[in-house]
Amino acid sequence: MVVLVIVLALFFDFTNGFHDTANAMATPIATGALKPKAAVAIAAVLNLVGAFLSTEVARTISGGLIKEGESGIQITPVMIFAGLIGATLWNMTTWLLGLPSSSSHALFGGLIGAAIVGAGFGAVDFSVLMSKVVLPALLAPLTAGLVAFLATKIVYGITKKRQRNGFKHGQIFTSSLVSLAHGTNDAQKTMGVITLTLIAGGFQAAGSGPEFWVIAVCALAIAIGTYTGGWRIIRTMGKGLTEIEPGQGFSAEASTAATILASSNLGFALSTTQVSSGSVIGTGIGRKGASVRWSTAGRIGVGWLITIPAAGLVGALAAVVALSGALGVVIDTVVAVGVIVGIFLSSRRNRVDSRNIHDEPTVLIRPKRGRNQRKADERRRADEQQVAAHTSDSPSNQSVTSNQSVTSNQSVTTNESDRA
Amino acid sequence: MIDWPAFFVVLVSTLVSACLVVTFYSVGLRLLDTGHGWRRPAGIACFTICALVVLYGVYLVIPYFHQ
Repeated sequence: MVVLVIVLALFFDFTNGFHDTANAMATPIATGALKPKAAVAIAAVLNLVGAFLSTEVARTISGGLIKEGESGIQITPVMIFAGLIGATLWNMTTWLLGLPSSSSHALFGGLIGAAIVGAGFGAVDFSVLMSKVVLPALLAPLTAGLVAFLATKIVYGITKKRQRNGFKHGQIFTSSLVSLAHGTNDAQKTMGVITLTLIAGGFQAAGSGPEFWVIAVCALAIAIGTYTGGWRIIRTMGKGLTEIEPGQGFSAEASTAATILASSNLGFALSTTQVSSGSVIGTGIGRKGASVRWSTAGRIGVGWLITIPAAGLVGALAAVVALSGALGVVIDTVVAVGVIVGIFLSSRRNRVDSRNIHDEPTVLIRPKRGRNQRKADERRRADEQQVAAHTSDSPSNQSVTSNQSVTSNQSVTTNESDRA
Repeated sequence: MIDWPAFFVVLVSTLVSACLVVTFYSVGLRLLDTGHGWRRPAGIACFTICALVVLYGVYLVIPYFHQ
C-alpha cells in the first residue's frame, strides 16, 4: 500500500509539473521571448533546483483542512491513496480540456472526498476551507489582475512602440522567478504526502523531515513533468485569453511573481495558477486594443469552482471502493490507470505540442473536433480554389485568394470558440 | 475568518513592487533607446535597480537565506 501511494504521489507530482508549466512560461512563449522548448527546459531546471532549495514540509497533509492528528481523525494510507486518485484524474481531465486549474485544490479536493467517506463530514473543517481556499481563490486573480492592469498601463504610458521589444529580455527573468517560486512551493506538497505516508506506515519516525531520496524523486518528478510541458494549457494561457505583446507579458509576469512572493512570505498563500491567470486577464484589460475572451475566462472560472467538488467526488468514489479491502485497492488502481491511459490516448487525437503551439487556439481543445467542421473547411477550400482557377491564372490573384481563405478560416475558428 | 489586514499588506506590497519593477524597466528601455550623454548610464542604473529587485525576490524564495 505504501509503495502504491508513493508511486501515485509521484505521478501526481508529475501532473502538477506539466499542469503548471503554463503559469510561468505561457507568456514568454506567446510573445516569442523564449523558444517553446527552451522555455520548458528553463522551467524544468528551476523547478528541480527549487524543490531542493526548500524542504520545509508541512506538518499536515491538508494544511488544517482535515482535522488530523490527536483530537481529529487518523488519515490512513488508503485515504491518501483515494485522495491522490481524485486529484490526479482531475488534473488529467483539466489538462485534456486545456484549463489551468490549481493542482493544490485538486489535492485538497481529493483528500476531502476521501476523508468524508472514511470518517464522515465532521472530518472536514469547513471554516478553514472557506478562509484558506475559497476566499483566496477569489482574491488571488483579483489582486494579480489589478496589479497587472496598472503595470500594463505604466508600461504603455512610458515606452514607445518600437522600444517595447526590449521587454522580451525582461520576461525571461520574471518568468524564471515564477518558475523558481513554483518549484519551492509545489514539490513540497508531494514530499509532505510521501513523508506522512511513510510515517503512518511506520517506516519513519514521527515528526522527522523528508528523507533525501524522497526529496530527490519528488524534484525529478516535478521537473520531468514541467519539461513535458502542458502545451494545451500553455496555449490557453498564452493565446486563448488575450493576445499578449512583450510589454504585457513582462507586466503580467512581474505581477505574478510579486503576488506569489508577497503572499507566500506574508502568510497569505495564494494559488500560483489563479494568480497567473488573473495577471494575464488584467494585462489584457490594461492594453488599449487588446480584447479579453471572457468566454474562455468564464470557462476557467467554472473549472476553478468545480475543481474541489469534482476531485472530491472522484476521491470519495475511490475511497468507497478502496476501503472495502485489498481487492478494492486493486480495482481502484486498474480503473485509474485505465482512465489515465484513455485520457492520454484521446489527447493524441488532437495533439498540442511545441510545434503547433502558435496556431490559432480553439480555446477549449476538444479531442473530438467535429468531422463535419473539417469537411466544411475542406469543401470551402476546394470551392475557393475552383474560383481562383476560374477567375485567373496569374500568381498575384492566387495569392490574394489564399490570403482570403486563411482569414476566413481563422474567423471561423474564433466564432467556434466563442460559441463553445 | 479571513485575515483582511494580512491580505491588505499583500495587496499593497505586490502593487508597489510590481509597479516599481515595471516602471524602472520601462524608463530604462526609453533612456537606452535615445541613449546619448547622461541617458545611457541612467538607463543602465534603471536596469540595475530591476535586477536588484529580482535578486531580492530570489532571496525571498530561498528559505536558506533567512532562517
